[in-house]
Amino acid sequence: MDQSVAIQETLDDGENCLIAVQCLLLLDNGTESRLLGLVEHIKEHALFMFMHRRMAITGSDVTLQKIIPISYDFSVVEVSSPEELAVVGADTRLRVTFLNEEIEFKLPFGSHTRLFLSEVNRAWCDVCEQYPKSPKFDWLTKYQKSAKEPGSLPSIAASTGKIAKRERSHSADTRGHKEDKHTNSSTDKARGEGAHENSQERVKGEGRNELVRLSTHTVSNKAQMLTMPQFGLRDTLIKCELLKNEDAYTYIENFSFFLGTYNVNGQTPKESLRSWLGCTPQPPDLYCIGFQELDLSKEVFFFNDTPKEQEWMKAVSEGLHSDAKYALVKLVRLVGIMLLFYVKKEHAEHISDMEAETVGTGIMGRMGNKGAVAVRFRFHNSDVCVVNAHLAAHVEEYERRNQDYRDICSRMLFRQLDPTLSPLTIMKHSIVLWLGDLNYRISDLEVDHVKDLIMKKDFETLHNHDQLKRQMDEEAVFVDFLEGEIEFQPTYKYDMGSDKWDTSEKCRVPAWCDRILWKGKNITQRHYRSHMTLRTSDHKPVSSLLEIGIKVVNEESYKRTLEDIVRSLDKLENECIPSVCLSKSEFHFKDVKFMQHRAETLTLHNDGQVPCKFEFIKKLDEPAYCKPWLTANPSRGFLAQGDSVDIDLELFVNRSTAPELNSGQQQLEDILILHLERGKDFFISISGSYLSSCFGSSIHTLCQLKEPIQDMPLETIRELSLMATSETNSPDTEKALDIPKELWMMVDHLYRNASKQEDLFQQPGLRSEFEEIRDCLDTGMPDTLPGSNHSVAEALLLFLDALPEPVIPFSFYQQCLECYFTSGQCKMIISMLPQCHKNVFNYVTAFLRELLKNSAHNRLDVNILATVFAALLIRSPTKQDIMEKRKTQEFFQHFLVQETH
Amino acid sequence: MAKKTYDLLFKLLLIGDSGVGKTCVLFRFSDDAFNTTFISTIGIDFKIKTVELQGKRIKLQIWDTAGQERFHTITTSYYRGAMGILLVYDITNAKSFENISKWLRNIEEHANEDVERMLLGNKCDMEDMRVVLKAKGEQIASEHNIRFFETSAKANINIEKAFLTLAEDILRKVSHVYGKYSILVYCISSTVYKTCCGLMK
Repeated sequence: MDQSVAIQETLDDGENCLIAVQCLLLLDNGTESRLLGLVEHIKEHALFMFMHRRMAITGSDVTLQKIIPISYDFSVVEVSSPEELAVVGADTRLRVTFLNEEIEFKLPFGSHTRLFLSEVNRAWCDVCEQYPKSPKFDWLTKYQKSAKEPGSLPSIAASTGKIAKRERSHSADTRGHKEDKHTNSSTDKARGEGAHENSQERVKGEGRNELVRLSTHTVSNKAQMLTMPQFGLRDTLIKCELLKNEDAYTYIENFSFFLGTYNVNGQTPKESLRSWLGCTPQPPDLYCIGFQELDLSKEVFFFNDTPKEQEWMKAVSEGLHSDAKYALVKLVRLVGIMLLFYVKKEHAEHISDMEAETVGTGIMGRMGNKGAVAVRFRFHNSDVCVVNAHLAAHVEEYERRNQDYRDICSRMLFRQLDPTLSPLTIMKHSIVLWLGDLNYRISDLEVDHVKDLIMKKDFETLHNHDQLKRQMDEEAVFVDFLEGEIEFQPTYKYDMGSDKWDTSEKCRVPAWCDRILWKGKNITQRHYRSHMTLRTSDHKPVSSLLEIGIKVVNEESYKRTLEDIVRSLDKLENECIPSVCLSKSEFHFKDVKFMQHRAETLTLHNDGQVPCKFEFIKKLDEPAYCKPWLTANPSRGFLAQGDSVDIDLELFVNRSTAPELNSGQQQLEDILILHLERGKDFFISISGSYLSSCFGSSIHTLCQLKEPIQDMPLETIRELSLMATSETNSPDTEKALDIPKELWMMVDHLYRNASKQEDLFQQPGLRSEFEEIRDCLDTGMPDTLPGSNHSVAEALLLFLDALPEPVIPFSFYQQCLECYFTSGQCKMIISMLPQCHKNVFNYVTAFLRELLKNSAHNRLDVNILATVFAALLIRSPTKQDIMEKRKTQEFFQHFLVQETH
Repeated sequence: MAKKTYDLLFKLLLIGDSGVGKTCVLFRFSDDAFNTTFISTIGIDFKIKTVELQGKRIKLQIWDTAGQERFHTITTSYYRGAMGILLVYDITNAKSFENISKWLRNIEEHANEDVERMLLGNKCDMEDMRVVLKAKGEQIASEHNIRFFETSAKANINIEKAFLTLAEDILRKVSHVYGKYSILVYCISSTVYKTCCGLMK
């Protein structure tokens, strides 16, 4: 049951409970159940802690107690406490820290908890990523007022790590609490998901320290980091490599495994189990003790809750070999089938990856009256699976038993630490130990004959009638499993409290129901026997001592192997950094001219081992990846291994970039950064020499130049242009020309050659001719302008367009718009222009009026000329709208019509 | 048994004049090799190497920068996010040593405030061509309170030591600040990683 649904009901719109987990809150005087929900609201996260009655189904079952906002100061650490017996594979204990508070929780063991933690972790990483922007948590305010905090969780010093006392009775407003508290436990137990986990919680809650004779051992005291998903691939690679090279750093060492199985027929322990569990001369290294029919009551069947679990566990703990200290690593139970797993204290730290699972094969093939429980763990470097099974009863049902075995094998699935890996089956383990009441009987012999054979200790003959032996010989069940020689009399069925065979009406045929089998390499059986002295049940317990060769890690060689692997992975990673080679990293463009298209090719070749994405990126504080006169085409792309791509570096100086280059304030210089995604950056240097041009130079500067611009030293041009900007109204124009000679050359040329030219200013010129005209103007060669009339006309337009300050300077633009309708005022404005601008304006308008006299030939009229020239002479410093455009045209028309009437 | 492949990620940066041997220093550390042909680094390159310090596996991501003067303004933009900077000069090149104070100023202006710095006098195998006394290197290092090693990428002198010492200093600083919550450190370092990748975009 997903309890986040209940939490969701208590939340506002836009808030989502992503995942919830039921857990135990650790208090000074014990633990209390809580519901933890991870709640999200527009990328902000918080943990909501709820008190709850029973398993929460609706919003009314939960009461908000505390909110833990996930911010920078938030941390969650997995801990195992020193004072408590550390049990590997047990519940996850967490310490949550935020602000100055610390809270400890115990989360049930399993994948749901891991999922929960990884979600929390992700939420926290989100916060970190957005650094330095910190979450505001405004949406939590409403809750903080209403949060019921019975004696709220007081802040506590970090060192104590525990929460101060809280009065349970104080949680007065949870309805009908007394009642609830009781029903709590039973409904809790009944919940389907992980019934065995609950029993574990109980074990822990109730003074396990007394039960297990071990108090100081800690597996790992230090805080463990939660595994971070983003580096998973490398982890997997390392694990893979380690596995491949396992032989290099492991050696086989024998360990003794004591395996016991006991069908206790629902009885409570009445006698010491020492004669069974402590029968070996030396204390075994590990114990795996299985019980069947622990409890035959209906209650355990329906609620999976039984006091017998405690009683038998206590009996086992007390019956273990007295010469060593053992830690209970795991207890797993399904109804009456229970498996206990103990290890010697000194081996505990070598147990890892502990998982426990159960499979019911009873009524309807699912219920827990029959079936199996199992644990899997890694001991040193070997994976071990231990199964305790109780298979179907009755003599004739051996096929059913075979089926149970197959069901258990296929349905017993252990989760893996890495949730992306598929679950492990029993048979995936290199060592499988299988014990239990397998219920196989003796076939085809009369009861008296059987008893007679037993009397004669002719176990060989008897064994030939054993169903399990026969089924195994036929390879119908337990394929590849081994069993030791049976040299003890059948363990079933006795009169309770005696060693006498069953005297009841049914008078069962004795059988070796209780068996221990194994599968794997390097396993030797030291003993296989029953324990007749125990009379509690109608079965006798059986034990087997196995010496198992376990792969143990040689730390030194492990370290060496790991280092080798890490080194080779580093190498691999370095080799996989995207890499390209460039045909050139420096580009020089010589003698670049105005409006001259220049291009060079940069070839990228992917010489790396991976495909790569490349892109020209911006430098810090710059608006684009390159200067406005440059473009790279394409500026980004994708390149497969071994492929090449040509990038055109195109240079073009237009009217907006020309002025600063003409004046020498800027050079043709840039450095491009070519970035490879997840790889290196290349710096590509671009340089060039620009040939100054009258295009893009100011009227003022040009009026000062009596020689062609390219005959002037750059220094002079720079000084002139600086003067132009600082002393616009300077009267110091004695030496200056009235108008730029370049303008005169073009206008005079047109006046003389093109007055009657049809469609003048209407037809485009030729690009090549423009270049000749430009060169002529800038170098003074040849003496007369080359090119057609249309080309010269276009050059004139370009010239006017490229003026950094238009003929009517920007500062007059607004005035022009205000008085465009009054001819007089328009002329007033012109009279106020700087001298050289005024000259140019008058010169151009005079020329245009001349053209209009020939309108019969050149087909020009006032409208056309106003449209063309107003846009060039009267420019807006900002974007111009259509209304403004009309006004400038009307303004200009005053000067065209002037003398025609 | 180690479950994680590394705990921390440190971003380190090599800076210094062109030709002092930054790329060779990195190449020696990452590949344990040396190449005598000089190819000027035109841009920013990096390599990774995983080292183990104090039981923690640390991934070092080491960025090698172009030393040429014309690239200085650009390379300074890569200082951000570096947790450690190795400032290299050439003991046979006086100019490269004179420029150290300029580089230190650069660090001050452009790098994180708490960046760990280290001074390396490279090419110490070329004793007969030495123009910068070891004492001078030591002096400027102590004036700025930073560690100093004379190294040789060619003869493999002090290269690994320099990197490991720098990483240790960073680790000490990092664990001092974030103490018990190694998870926090981890996340922060991975954030830094993202940030410095972000810069490249």
